[in-house]
Amino acid sequence: MKKYLLSFALAFVSLTAFAQADYDKIMTEKIAKIETCKTPEDFQTLANDFQRIGSKESTKWLPAYYAAFSYIQKGRTMMRDGKMQDLDGIADQAEKHLSMAQNLAGADNAEIHLLRKMSYSLRMMVNPAQRYMTDGARAAEEMNAAEKLDPANPRVALIKAEDVYFTPEQYGGSKTKGLEMFKDAQAKFNAYKPKTALDPNWGKAEADYFLSLPAEKAK
Amino acid sequence: MKTQGQNLLFLLFLLTSVMGYSQVKISGKVSFKNKGVAEVNVTLKDTYDGTTTDAQGNFTFETSEKGTHIITFTHPKYENIERSVSIENQDVSLNVDLKEQISEIDAVVVSAGSIEASDKKRATALLTPIDIYTTAGADGQISSALTYLPGVQKVGGTEGLFIRGGTGTESKIFMDGSLINNYFSNSVPGIAGRDQFNTSLFKGNIFSSGGYSALYGQALSGALMLESVDLPDETSYNFGISPIFLNAGFQKLGDHKNYSYGATAGYSLLSLMQKVFKFNTDFVEAPQGFNGDLNFRFKTKSGGFFKYYGMFNSNKMGVRSESLEPGYDFSLVKLNGKNTFHNLSFRQKFGKYLLNVGGSYSYNRSDLHFSTETNDIESSRSQLLTDGNYLNFKAVLERKINRISAVRGGIELNNTDENLNFEAVQKHYKDLISSAFVETDLGFSNALSAKIGVRAEHSSFLGKNNIAPRFAIAYRLAKDWTTSFAYGLFYQNPESKYINGPANLGFQKSQHYIFQVQRASEGRTLRFEAFYKKYDQLIKTFNVTPDKEQNQQIQTALNNDGYGFAKGLEFFWRDNKKTFENIDYWISYSYLDSKRDFLNYPVSLQPGFAAQHTLSAVAKRFIPEWKLGVNLSYTYAKGRPYYDIASTFDNGKAINYTRNEGRLKDYNALNFSINYLPNIGKKDAKSFPVFVLSVSNILGSKNVYGYNFSADGSRSSAIVPPVNTFVFIGAFISFGVDKTDDAINNNL
Repeated sequence: MKKYLLSFALAFVSLTAFAQADYDKIMTEKIAKIETCKTPEDFQTLANDFQRIGSKESTKWLPAYYAAFSYIQKGRTMMRDGKMQDLDGIADQAEKHLSMAQNLAGADNAEIHLLRKMSYSLRMMVNPAQRYMTDGARAAEEMNAAEKLDPANPRVALIKAEDVYFTPEQYGGSKTKGLEMFKDAQAKFNAYKPKTALDPNWGKAEADYFLSLPAEKAK
Repeated sequence: MKTQGQNLLFLLFLLTSVMGYSQVKISGKVSFKNKGVAEVNVTLKDTYDGTTTDAQGNFTFETSEKGTHIITFTHPKYENIERSVSIENQDVSLNVDLKEQISEIDAVVVSAGSIEASDKKRATALLTPIDIYTTAGADGQISSALTYLPGVQKVGGTEGLFIRGGTGTESKIFMDGSLINNYFSNSVPGIAGRDQFNTSLFKGNIFSSGGYSALYGQALSGALMLESVDLPDETSYNFGISPIFLNAGFQKLGDHKNYSYGATAGYSLLSLMQKVFKFNTDFVEAPQGFNGDLNFRFKTKSGGFFKYYGMFNSNKMGVRSESLEPGYDFSLVKLNGKNTFHNLSFRQKFGKYLLNVGGSYSYNRSDLHFSTETNDIESSRSQLLTDGNYLNFKAVLERKINRISAVRGGIELNNTDENLNFEAVQKHYKDLISSAFVETDLGFSNALSAKIGVRAEHSSFLGKNNIAPRFAIAYRLAKDWTTSFAYGLFYQNPESKYINGPANLGFQKSQHYIFQVQRASEGRTLRFEAFYKKYDQLIKTFNVTPDKEQNQQIQTALNNDGYGFAKGLEFFWRDNKKTFENIDYWISYSYLDSKRDFLNYPVSLQPGFAAQHTLSAVAKRFIPEWKLGVNLSYTYAKGRPYYDIASTFDNGKAINYTRNEGRLKDYNALNFSINYLPNIGKKDAKSFPVFVLSVSNILGSKNVYGYNFSADGSRSSAIVPPVNTFVFIGAFISFGVDKTDDAINNNL
């Protein structure tokens, strides 16, 4: 009887192990997709995928984190196309998932703070003139929090570099300064080891992309 | 045996799991009102299986799960749906219909007659404070900037918002819900008073050219609701300097961002500019003024928010003009004006309820001295002294019903106490207007919403009551297209300045019908509005023989037999940096057909303040390389009629008749301004100066606002702006607040 129980327990262990493997597998698969998504629709589909995983794995913060990240990327794609009006709704969604992620991961997670920063930046773009002082300030606060928690985080360095890169020279930004900062981010990426295979590890390609731009374009 | 048993178990387990791998296809279509919905998240609950619908709303996915499961359909804009499915070996097909989730973001807003300029309306917001500052020709004044919007007439010699054939006093201005009794500074006849309130004091505004909410009253034409800023973002100091004024101020923000206080003071004097420019107006005493304001704001521990704003303004000027009366060379008028306004408001949320309470007090004194000058000798002066005390109290309680529906109601009290002294005449006018109102916002769906309200008023002076129902509905025709309709009744007491003798008077009345079609998309707004306005019970007056020293008519109310109408079409187009890089421009055109028989008009006439066609265009461009903003504006208004009306008495009955009439020449003005921000982008800069150069009426058009006539009507003189072309230069410097990013983001 004792043995029976044991084998039962064993079977159970293997089952959970199996489930764990499933989680890793599907997460790895979906995370890999981030790089291939191009359109807002692609990112929405991905966000839905992560949401689905998150609703099953309700104790894990990463699905919610990636769902939020997918929304933010969707928003950034739309921002580039000049579709500012819908950014509020997208930021709402991102922030909903970010609070879920934060509940699970704790308040001192630099990656979540960084996504919050990105989400507030999206909100600001809806009406920069009026929102600079509110959403802009919140974005800056979140950026500071992220940087304080994890000074070596390459994504923090990346987003900071982007901010400088896209700010016109007359306003204190510059492409050259931005590029210097991308180099710094790249160095941090090279030194960075995510805690697990599934932990946030995006952004290196972006830094590489900016650094690979031909010199005249970077002016 | 033991191992065998284990093997068996393992085999069994393997078998089930292999069997489990036989896939079943689940597919279907998700729709809303027979149209497929894209981006719906379809999930087999508690599994990784699921998918997202395509552009046509179709979905398909495979699963190895068996048995009874729940499939969920989620999309932020629709209500979540759950469906139970039994998965056996056959493919499953299911179609679902979604229900719309009503939300504040997507709900259609009633916009007939009103233009909102606050962040609430997001990218389509119109005329924010920065917009006003960068509109050439607006002089940074809210009321002037509004004349570049459809429906507002450019009138000139008189202050006030002349909306859709209404007089300047038929529009009212509110601050945080409380009436501002003296929004404009005191002035002398023929020269418009200026806005006394600093534009940057307000974070947003709703400008209604008709059909406005039941929360507001006593305005036959329209209302401007200003919303003051909450806590400042940072502690800052600023000062401004120009040849005509000097001012300084500060705002201090508490360490925990729960309170702030601030003050400003300013002095202005026009005499220096008089030496440089050729003025049309002969200022024997150059306009000069002193003003100051004070504010504090704090949040209570329980989430309440108090705001106080108080201001004081005094101004002086003296004007000499050629006398129209025989025997005198010049007529002179001197003004000494004083004004103070205090507003305290409080708001707090209690669960589903929101309470807004506000009170304001204002005092205004206008001390005018009239005299004549003959052979350089000034006659004795006659004094016209008016002073008024105004108290306003308003309480509004609002309850949210669901996401987009709400009901609000409250009361308003307006007490007026005015004294007028002119020679032997002494007038004391007192009126308490008590009002109660209730209004409901009804959101039926994201595409259909309505606003229904009613307001009741009692005036102690008139001893009469009125009930004014108001109604508006909005419907979304397509994604960016909305249409709305508004109807309302509006009442207003006769102006006290016409009440100079016994008369049986009642409320003046207007009825508004407004129909609007609007297209609002990213950075672009297009709107058409058609309106019909019917006036009843307008007051009729006759002229009291004017004093020869002041060529202003005095009119006295007789009865409420006046009437009139105004109808028109308006067009507005704004393109905010969408078509042309860095260029924000808008064009507005108004057609107005109006006739009235009111005041001393002998018959129904096109009012002297109603231009038939008004066109204006505004363009702004920021050039980042030069740190320079360049702004242009142009206004055209078709010539308005003017009348010289006199009264005779026949058997003790006043009969008005027209002695002279004509048409003014068309109004034209091209204005230009530039803003230079040299420290933009200097991250280590401590001060943030903005240099402004503006030239109004750059082409020097000789505009005429109207005519004055002598007592016998035989001579006349044109009412013209104090100066045809005016150049303003100034520097505004702030410390403590980095305006850099502000400027960048404004101009990105």
